[in-house]
Amino acid sequence: MTVIARRLAGHLARGFAMILVVTTISFVIIRSIPGDPMRARYEKLVEQGMSPDQAERATAALYGFMPKGTLWEQYADYMRGLLHLDLGQSLSVPGAEVTTLLASAATWTILPVLVGTLLSFAVGIIMGVYAAIKRSSKLGDVLAVSGSLLHGLPQYVLALLLSAVFTTLLPIFPTGGTADVTLEPGLNAAYIGSLIQYATMPVLTYALAGYGGWILAMKSSVVTVLGDDFIMAAELRGLKRGLIFRYVARNAILPLFTILALSLGLLFGGAIFIERIFTYPGLGLLLLNSITDRDYTLMGGAFLLITVAIVIANIVADMLYTAIDPRVRSGQEAS
Amino acid sequence: MFVPAEKVSMTLGERLSAAVGVRGDRSVEAARNTGAAEGTRDARRSGPPGVRIRDLSVVYRTAAGELPAVSGIDLDLPPGTITGVVGESGSGKSTLALSLLNAVQPPGRIRSGSVEIDGLGDVTRLRGENLRKARGRHIGYVFQAAQNSLNPLKTVGKQLLDLGRSHEIRDLRGLVRDAKDLLGRMGMDGARVLDSHQHELSGGMRQRVGIMFALVLNAHLVVLDEPTTALDMITQATILRIVREVHEERGLTTFIITHDLGVVAEIADRLAIMYGGRVVEQGPTTEVLGAPRHPYTQGLIRAIPRLVGDLGEARALPGRPPTLGTVPSRGCVFRERCDLRMDVCETEEPPAVPYGEWIVACHAVAARDAETREEKE
Repeated sequence: MTVIARRLAGHLARGFAMILVVTTISFVIIRSIPGDPMRARYEKLVEQGMSPDQAERATAALYGFMPKGTLWEQYADYMRGLLHLDLGQSLSVPGAEVTTLLASAATWTILPVLVGTLLSFAVGIIMGVYAAIKRSSKLGDVLAVSGSLLHGLPQYVLALLLSAVFTTLLPIFPTGGTADVTLEPGLNAAYIGSLIQYATMPVLTYALAGYGGWILAMKSSVVTVLGDDFIMAAELRGLKRGLIFRYVARNAILPLFTILALSLGLLFGGAIFIERIFTYPGLGLLLLNSITDRDYTLMGGAFLLITVAIVIANIVADMLYTAIDPRVRSGQEAS
Repeated sequence: MFVPAEKVSMTLGERLSAAVGVRGDRSVEAARNTGAAEGTRDARRSGPPGVRIRDLSVVYRTAAGELPAVSGIDLDLPPGTITGVVGESGSGKSTLALSLLNAVQPPGRIRSGSVEIDGLGDVTRLRGENLRKARGRHIGYVFQAAQNSLNPLKTVGKQLLDLGRSHEIRDLRGLVRDAKDLLGRMGMDGARVLDSHQHELSGGMRQRVGIMFALVLNAHLVVLDEPTTALDMITQATILRIVREVHEERGLTTFIITHDLGVVAEIADRLAIMYGGRVVEQGPTTEVLGAPRHPYTQGLIRAIPRLVGDLGEARALPGRPPTLGTVPSRGCVFRERCDLRMDVCETEEPPAVPYGEWIVACHAVAARDAETREEKE
């Protein structure tokens, strides 16, 4: 147990250092983007039809929120704020805390992506096992080809395709948003039903986009394990088929857990294209908008969230592996 | 590690005396076993089974059609003996070993012939559950040590329980006790080993665990496929000693596959030499190794460097062994590399001719034998 605790402590220390480095780099990069929040706002307002004078006045209100001092001082201020878990004020949404914006966007990203990823993982794993067992038959070929096709198709093409089919040709699902705006948000059946209806398209896209990768990875993993000596040994000892199947499945699924943990970390980045296509107000869309608006603090906050999520996912993946693979466990005892 | 004939006879003698000494223990062992797990009684009561392989042919499906890996083999494993099969890579010896469990892997299949095992019948006809239950319970199979024959994610003990459940052993505690006894018998700490994962065991330990798995359900026919390959010399010697001792104590029929004549000289009562999917010579180990008749066996023995004398005296066999695709379809499979080649070797496959217990398949040997017999008359 102490070994695991020590390992975890090491991971956390490294993770913290990593976050620090990434935050610094992203701070510098964000500040190096041409343009600034005031200019971006001004241009946007003019584009919307305001006269230059009006726009200038409206933009001036923003000035109070602009970071002051040299870049170095700004950096010090920003990091000091981070220590207090204060990500600052948004520059594009006046009066809004970055943390609040991130939190509300996160709910629209995490749940759909989580459901989509787990769905594609479950289906992909099962189909992968079948594709491996039936690899010399037609069914196996069909499964493998379906995997390659979906894996090769870019997410946004898939999203556009689904959108075209299910919202235009066959209008079953709404084109965008999170729920029917005429409904009262709350814990009532109608609203929740509407939430599910609106989430179906994004979730389906996530699921289909992930499925190809899982089925291919699982198939190759199962084929490898099936060729392992211990499977034949189990057969020659007369083990029951069910037990042999479990031997295969457990050994084959092992490497996929790491990928799963990592892809769950990536989910905080949101799926920019998919959220854009379905105008789903998640983290991806928030990040996209913050970049257009040159909203320094919001961008920084979004990047920080993604970094932290990925670092944590890495740690979870590693600890998970330690828990399920005895070889890793004893490897660390030795070191 | 070839042992000269004198040494062989000595070890044989030692083994015989050891066998006599151990015989008493074996009945004790048997008595203990009969009292143990109820479900395994039938297997335990019956002594070592005899095995009769008749006209066995195994083919592998390839792009060039079905090619024979094993062709028309006749081989007997008398009850209670250790039979060694020696051959080069590709001679079909592993395929032969798998045939004993009807476990030839696709794209291979047993095309014809039978493998009769006492108490089981013809295993080539066993299918499904009957076949599964015969494996492990009646026939134990020991893998090469280098092969990982254990599930890397489970402890040895858990895999032992899986084995017990697969064979409907009700007394799992008894099974664990038997396993510990066996491991202890092989010089290991049974409790510790059962608690270990595969990666925590050394090659020699894994091999002993493999032997335990083959024997723990009280199989009386044990097939060992290159049990000492990839082990160091000292561990090899230990494993061979254990195989021999366990063979005597438990009353087994043992079938051992190897490419090492030394291994066979060390422990086998009978020896079969395979070449190109055929048994070219078989007989009692000491006699065959002492005065081999088939030119291939002679060549093998000539190729072994001696402990004393010039290293140059060891002469390699010229040419290469045939592969699945290059085995001649008619005539003698060995003729390309043979000194005694005759015209008839091109066209006719040499029949297996018995000389007492000793069987040789060679035209030249048969011809010479006929000559000497004529001279005598």
